[in-house]
Amino acid sequence: MNQQRRPKLSALKLALVALATLSGPVADAHHSFAKFDMAKLTAVSGTVREFTWANPHTWLIIMVKKPNGTTEQWSLVASSPNMLSRWGWNAADIKPGDKVTVDVHPGRDGTAIGSMQTVFLANGKVLADPAGSTGQALASGPGKLPAKPQGQPYK
Amino acid sequence: MSKTPASRLKKFVSGALLVSVGAIAQVGRAQETAVPRTAAQQARAWQEIAQEPDLWQGTWQSISPIADDFSKSPDYTPSALAYIKAYKPAEDSPFTNCKPLGLPFVQNIGGMPMKFFQSPGMIAIYVESSGVTRFIHTDGRQHSAQPNPSYLGESIGHWEGDTLVVDTTGLAPDTVFQLGTLSKGALKEGDHSPIASVIFGPHGPNLRLVERMRLVDFNTLEIQTTLHDDTLFKTPYALAPRRFLRGIERRNEPQEWACTDNRDYLDPTTGKLEVNVKDKAQNR
Repeated sequence: MNQQRRPKLSALKLALVALATLSGPVADAHHSFAKFDMAKLTAVSGTVREFTWANPHTWLIIMVKKPNGTTEQWSLVASSPNMLSRWGWNAADIKPGDKVTVDVHPGRDGTAIGSMQTVFLANGKVLADPAGSTGQALASGPGKLPAKPQGQPYK
Repeated sequence: MSKTPASRLKKFVSGALLVSVGAIAQVGRAQETAVPRTAAQQARAWQEIAQEPDLWQGTWQSISPIADDFSKSPDYTPSALAYIKAYKPAEDSPFTNCKPLGLPFVQNIGGMPMKFFQSPGMIAIYVESSGVTRFIHTDGRQHSAQPNPSYLGESIGHWEGDTLVVDTTGLAPDTVFQLGTLSKGALKEGDHSPIASVIFGPHGPNLRLVERMRLVDFNTLEIQTTLHDDTLFKTPYALAPRRFLRGIERRNEPQEWACTDNRDYLDPTTGKLEVNVKDKAQNR
């Protein structure tokens, strides 16, 4: 998978994310984003250990192999199944053992946590988290999805 | 305030009379009369419902910011001002657990719609964000003298023209309640959370909500809520109207909300949030 960063697009996307978060603050209200660096987007690739489709939040736990041979466990949180299903997610989309790349807003404190923005599955399916979207976007479904990860690849 | 049997009977008879002469459409709607007790009365009540503004088709998605706008400052009581002065925002809102939010805040959550239903004498609103249903009595009753506390309170509704007016009391002391907004300077840098600016706090035992619900156009519902709480506001505070968008596609249909997997743990003593600590969060 090509994870080369495209700075121009990425900057625009981040600006849009910030704008959407500031101007349309209706979604994902069950927790604050204080734990996560919403101005930062990181592409984390790994193997799925757990995918829990449950309220109040969906969790994706992935094992990430680092270049030095060690493995790191990332705990990624997404919106509720109710919101995700309206944006085309299905509980059966992700299974343990699957290889995924996820654009996340990483933890501010540097720990291996993240707020999911977009999930890229090996079969080409792309799933976007509606968190931070406007009410209109929540009611009408996702717009154009990115074809590949936009975040800075995590190493 | 309870009614005497005689006054109830009088109300029922006068209501039935109105139905029988067919004048109810203009004089008063079915919910201002007694509950229909015959098939004919019931049929007539359904006909009346058909004349009401259509709150029923599809669902309503919040398109207003989750935080209510308190920029026009309420006339706070001294104790409310003291609370606000001492208020320190936690790393998360007070609803990291799975407990229902309660009125009025439960209707502020975006992403999960509301669905209105009705039968003669009652309007129900399913609020997906906490998986709860409001029951609004439209049979002309008065509030109970001492309603038992609940997350959605005791609601009584009536129509004023095309506006459904809902009066709610009996709200549990631990509903998630917004009593104001933090100034920009008090916000933590970089927290874009839509709820970061909210001042959450306790409401008084006599909190009363008066909601005015009306269609701005066929696809837009507006709800304007006035907060009556003499422990917080010297005079009732009229919140800015909130808007909801009608959704009729499959994705807009209501879904179940079962909250079973809470892993966000907000330490009440430090205000610090931990994530993905299932046991800690659920053993609270």
